[in-house]
Amino acid sequence: MSASIAFSEIETMLKRCAPGATWRMATHSRVVIFDGKTYRSLPKYDLVELGHVRKMIRYLNINRECAGEFLPL
Amino acid sequence: MRPRGLMAQPTGSRMKFYPLMFTFRDVVSGNGFLAGITISGRALMVYEDEVWWAYGVRPGALAESGASPQEGFLRFRNRYREVLFDVAAESKDFQAFKTEVERFYFEPDHEEETRWADAMQAIRSGDAAPDAPFSSLPRETPESRPSQVTVERLDISARFTASDNIPDLMIAAA
Repeated sequence: MSASIAFSEIETMLKRCAPGATWRMATHSRVVIFDGKTYRSLPKYDLVELGHVRKMIRYLNINRECAGEFLPL
Repeated sequence: MRPRGLMAQPTGSRMKFYPLMFTFRDVVSGNGFLAGITISGRALMVYEDEVWWAYGVRPGALAESGASPQEGFLRFRNRYREVLFDVAAESKDFQAFKTEVERFYFEPDHEEETRWADAMQAIRSGDAAPDAPFSSLPRETPESRPSQVTVERLDISARFTASDNIPDLMIAAA
């Protein structure tokens, strides 16, 4: 597994940088919804590889400068 | 275990982004239906954090990593299948499943599409040349393999033939 981060830190980033975002657990993945878009493939484990987080941030157009204040992107 | 014949990390790599195309066909059980999903998609392979990442371009909301490009692609393929399973579990009927799979497929990731197009243009212009193992993949132009998705209801179909079976394909965009 490559460089990873705790989901609790991702939650903190979402609360601060993606106001209105929601997330929930599906059977196989987490589903994150923000600004009218749905990211369906965030791993459901406690530790999430940074590549998944970078991709989610790109996909959902989350402010990268803000996200970088909370995560080692 | 690392698949034989595939490098763990790029050796003197001349490219950072490798534009790929792929075809997947799946049969998924849903709530009262059986669906066949065939996609012709796009992905970008990137070496980051000392692993190979397959980033979805179409569908865009998808990523996976592996110790080799092949492992990254296989895990990417499996994560895609898990998305289909999640959608099936959450869909009350076939129409809801079809609508959500199509939304998942077509919802754009503009930045990834730009990175993919730039990487392909670099190959076409001769500014970049894929190295192993990408250089040994079949190569096709995106124009010859348009991105598309079909979602069919199979349990009411009267026609099944072996020719409907499609193997997983990974193709280098050229």
